[in-house]
Amino acid sequence: MSSPTRPARPEPEPATTPAEELLVLSERTPPPSQANDALVAGTAIASAVFAVVFAVALLLEAPLPVYGIALALALLLLAVAVRRYFTDRFPDVEAAEPRLHLDEGDDAPIADVEPVGRRPFLTRILIGAGAVLGLSFAAPVSSLGPSPGNALRTTAWQRGLRVVDGDGDPLRPDDIPVGGVATAWPNGAVGDEPSSLVVLRLSGQPQPPTDLDWVVDGSVVAYSKVCTHAGCPVALYRERDSALFCPCHQSTFDANRGAVPTFGPAARALPQLPLGVDADGYLVALGDFESQVGPAFG
Amino acid sequence: MTPLFALLFDQLDDRLRLRRPGRAVANKVFPHHWSFLLGEVALFSLIVLVATGIFLTLFYRPSTEPVIYTGSNPLYVGTSMPAAFESILRMSEDVPGALLIRRIHRGASHLFLAATVLHMLRILLTGAFRKPRELNYHLGIVLLTLAIAEGFLGYSLPYDSLAGTGIRIAYSEVLSFPFVGDRLAFWIFGGEFPTGDVIPRFFAFHVLVVPGIIIGTVSLHLLLLVRQKHTQFPRTGIDGHRMIVGKPLWPAQFAESATLMLWTAGLLTLAAVFIPWSDVALLGPYVPAEVGNNAQPDWFMFWLEGVLRMIPALEWDLPGLTISGPFIAGVVLPGLVFGALIAYPFIERRVYHLSGEWHVLQNPLDIPLRAAYAIGTFSFVLIASAAATNDQLSRLTGIPIETATWGFRIASMFVPPVLAFLLYRYSKGRLRRRGLAVASSEQEADSRFHEPASEQQPVT
Repeated sequence: MSSPTRPARPEPEPATTPAEELLVLSERTPPPSQANDALVAGTAIASAVFAVVFAVALLLEAPLPVYGIALALALLLLAVAVRRYFTDRFPDVEAAEPRLHLDEGDDAPIADVEPVGRRPFLTRILIGAGAVLGLSFAAPVSSLGPSPGNALRTTAWQRGLRVVDGDGDPLRPDDIPVGGVATAWPNGAVGDEPSSLVVLRLSGQPQPPTDLDWVVDGSVVAYSKVCTHAGCPVALYRERDSALFCPCHQSTFDANRGAVPTFGPAARALPQLPLGVDADGYLVALGDFESQVGPAFG
Repeated sequence: MTPLFALLFDQLDDRLRLRRPGRAVANKVFPHHWSFLLGEVALFSLIVLVATGIFLTLFYRPSTEPVIYTGSNPLYVGTSMPAAFESILRMSEDVPGALLIRRIHRGASHLFLAATVLHMLRILLTGAFRKPRELNYHLGIVLLTLAIAEGFLGYSLPYDSLAGTGIRIAYSEVLSFPFVGDRLAFWIFGGEFPTGDVIPRFFAFHVLVVPGIIIGTVSLHLLLLVRQKHTQFPRTGIDGHRMIVGKPLWPAQFAESATLMLWTAGLLTLAAVFIPWSDVALLGPYVPAEVGNNAQPDWFMFWLEGVLRMIPALEWDLPGLTISGPFIAGVVLPGLVFGALIAYPFIERRVYHLSGEWHVLQNPLDIPLRAAYAIGTFSFVLIASAAATNDQLSRLTGIPIETATWGFRIASMFVPPVLAFLLYRYSKGRLRRRGLAVASSEQEADSRFHEPASEQQPVT
């Protein structure tokens, strides 16, 4: 198919040819073929049949594979028909086109009406005014969100607020078995992501830098669940080495030692919640986190 | 021409004088090489994306307000979930054909990105970015960036558990900008994560703003291509600097493109039947503070995710600002990779004192800097992408996650420079063995191609 019947002319003369005319280098006319005609007709008709199958199957709410495969076959068979149709009906032409000689330059003026050469500063004032107007359009951007203020340094936790589970039921220290871990929230703010908490009952002895005053029963501690690396939930706990583990980027924290990072990209410990027990025996916060929750900012 | 088409054409020609401009278009010559079709595949995927996307827009609800699911999936009947996730579930299970169209949309987004990346690799390796085509190369980089952004937005819209986690990480990335991070994040996300504004905003950008810019940029990309004409591979006996050789748009290229469009659509449909790659029923809706194992983004985000996983614990508190690991991994490093892509045409031109215009493609081994740059960058991107699978790898092989992460850290630091250095030495030696230096003009490069290497005189 690729063998030209006429040899390629290496250097056609572009100057003598009108721009629109195709500079044909080689041309090969396909021989008439009944086999090809049959192929074009067969694939085109089969494509139409599958298109009907697709439409009818979809309207009758047949299973996805039925109408899906029918649509795919209709498209693919039509592709074959189009390809074979063109190869048989048109000569295979190889042609040349002269390139635009960009490097030769062109000095024609871009417009024929030139400005009168006076008071160029007026042009600059006009462009400057347009630029200022354009910049002023940025003002509504500040309406897109509230001012951060202190929002990222505080959470919903307050002194006396009960620690509740995902259903809003308050937790007692006894609800956490040894080696157990629970996701918890401030009462009234279930689902407030920056306030999310992991409450654990350590099987080992908590050590500094854990604040031992905030450990209930000698083994129940609560840390922020928001990873200090990129803010994913620190969702996994491995009791063997008391490791809190973030499944997103594998930051690992030692729950026995104030949740300091021991591996991975997190650089700061998970903040420990000041934790206590109220008169009714439920876990409560003694205050908000004392260090910033979640990833670094600004 | 069929009589009906001829009548229509005559009526239009009577009013618009179409013959001359039509002939100029029909006679436009397209060089023939399979790698020139990668860009076309990207274009056809974009057409499929727009067509399927319009259909999906008619059912999707851009809201995270909780609603009670009443559809036919027994897993979720009667449960409360974000409206966005509910609408995806409802259209997938209860709207005939919508699941197929969602899967085709998802598959086409993968193909769009893959074809765009491979197209860019072809442009970069063969030198199609050289003067006068730098601008079009840069438009291509803009398109790649927009395609990645559009892919991330689309990944986020179902608001399944992976999507919510992805949005949370993106929010943390914006927070990490020194000085302005908190302000910027509150502007983009409408306040402290998670807000009800995120999904409506992502939706507006995914279906309107970004596709609008993509379609505009693609149009400009193609206009510049027509104006500047294609590059082409060297061919014996053809002065590629002055002439472009190939097949005319009508009929050869038209037939090929029409066939390719049908193949693209057909194979995407077939893939959609067999690959359930947009089914979110088993992922479940996003619930704050919950994430499963194997949390992973789409493949085109792997390299960024991998760097986020590999980066050691870093956080520098400086007066008034903080520089953190996520900023370096998610902003500085991709900024450097894209910055190098943008700057590369000018660097190559300056380093080798290239002059004039370049229309004939070259083997990258003929330009040692380009070979080294390409293998350095892409080996880094591949290793970083592999690092995004460190948890899966650890589970599959039993290698501790710490060891796997350290392996990737070391490989990403040392393999790219070593490969770049070795390939640089090899290509330089290859030129020297032939007694050549890097050609500084197209005529010089082309003359080497037309003469057999053995007859050439060594350059001293």
